[in-house]
Amino acid sequence: MSSVQATVFDIIAKESGVEPSKITLDSTLKDLEIQSLDAIQIIFEIEDHFKITMPDRDPNFDTDSVKGLVEAVEKLVAAKDAAASAS
Amino acid sequence: MANQRVVITGMGAICALGIDAASSWAAMREGRSAIAPIARTFPDPLRAPIAAEVRDFDPTTHFDSKKLLLLDRVSQFALIAAREAVSQSGLDFRSDGLGENTAVIVGTGVGGENTNDEASRRLYGENNPRLHPLTIVRLMSNAPASQISIEHGLTGPSFAVVSACASANHALAQALHMVRNGVADAAVAGGSEACLTYGVLKAWEAMRVLADDTCRPFCKQRRGLVLGEGAAMFVLETLENAQRRGATVLAEFAGAGMSADAGDIVFPSEQGAARAIQRALADGALNPYEIGYINAHGTGTPANDPTETAAIHRVFGERAKSIPVSSTKSMHGHALGAAGALELIAVIGALRDGVIAPTANFIDPDPACDLDYVPNVARAQPVAAALSNSFAFGGLNAVLALRRWQ
Repeated sequence: MSSVQATVFDIIAKESGVEPSKITLDSTLKDLEIQSLDAIQIIFEIEDHFKITMPDRDPNFDTDSVKGLVEAVEKLVAAKDAAASAS
Repeated sequence: MANQRVVITGMGAICALGIDAASSWAAMREGRSAIAPIARTFPDPLRAPIAAEVRDFDPTTHFDSKKLLLLDRVSQFALIAAREAVSQSGLDFRSDGLGENTAVIVGTGVGGENTNDEASRRLYGENNPRLHPLTIVRLMSNAPASQISIEHGLTGPSFAVVSACASANHALAQALHMVRNGVADAAVAGGSEACLTYGVLKAWEAMRVLADDTCRPFCKQRRGLVLGEGAAMFVLETLENAQRRGATVLAEFAGAGMSADAGDIVFPSEQGAARAIQRALADGALNPYEIGYINAHGTGTPANDPTETAAIHRVFGERAKSIPVSSTKSMHGHALGAAGALELIAVIGALRDGVIAPTANFIDPDPACDLDYVPNVARAQPVAAALSNSFAFGGLNAVLALRRWQ
């Protein structure tokens, strides 16, 4: 498990109250019964933690898997690190 | 005196579409959207830098400098709309004694937010610990109601009503029931909002419900709501009084229905919305088949529009698809605590002129929203009775029911 993945799992568990053991890469926010207000708090905490900005509107917000979320965060973190080392 | 019929004899408005009720209604009939880029710049760029702002507005043409010192933008809007409404009603509250027991009930979502924003900027931004001594009288949420009562000499029950996006409808409902039951002889009621500050815009941005293109209610391509600002005020009086003095009646204010979802703090409830609609029909002694137009809450968010659609299906059954339903928020934006009041301009316009304002910016229908939303172009169609929906964050719902007067 990558460190990004572990952190994202932690944030999801903390913000939604879902048991950490229930969260898998294949779960969707819907499977985990995470409401929209919890979902935007999860995004907020992820942004705050990694100092990144997630796209404002993801049409698959409810149906996309945790895997998709982790990959998006990894991409943004990599882009941020690349920008930092380039400057 | 109980159970008097209540009518509206004056209306006034100021919003992004126009600085009075007539020009605002004319713009709605044309399907003209006033949503545009926000001209001001902020410390951090906005993700959705658009709004329905009241533009080219110079408060000094409406108020002298001494009075202006007392007024947040939200009270300026409220006073301008109230002046127009009182003037149209033909009532002279001071000389005819009616002001003695006329109520002032004004909805607002955030109150004197521009004043609050300015105070915060001084305190935190400039490290300036001294605030203007009139900060409180400007920012208090009852200021719009108080200023109207002072300006027109109205000494009946007066206060502010706060229920986020349903504030104006709750205020109008309260005023209706007061006049109907003889608690007040008349009322000036409506809503006012001046919420386009950096703080409020950023707070809405954080909820991820703002559209960055425009507001497209009920449409497949909708991306969320667009904030607006403004005010609309109405003069309510008993039918008996209006007829005695030969006043022009704009519409009969037949009923109002309210409910709370008692569920999620933001996700709307079909049952809660339907309950408020049913109560408005019952309160107004209206049969569902009489309703010829519904001004929708229609925020353009993913959650509201299908839920509101389902609530209308639930109440009207097979007839639902034959009732024109439009969201004028596509044109004047979502003015939070003033929203229902601005939308009442569209309802009265439909009843009086037989013209239904469209849902602007409409592209393709959403399968989850299958009603007749009057896309983009106004429709000439007589309307005998109409509803206006407001469903607030916090699950607080208020629906108004009006009848054509002829």
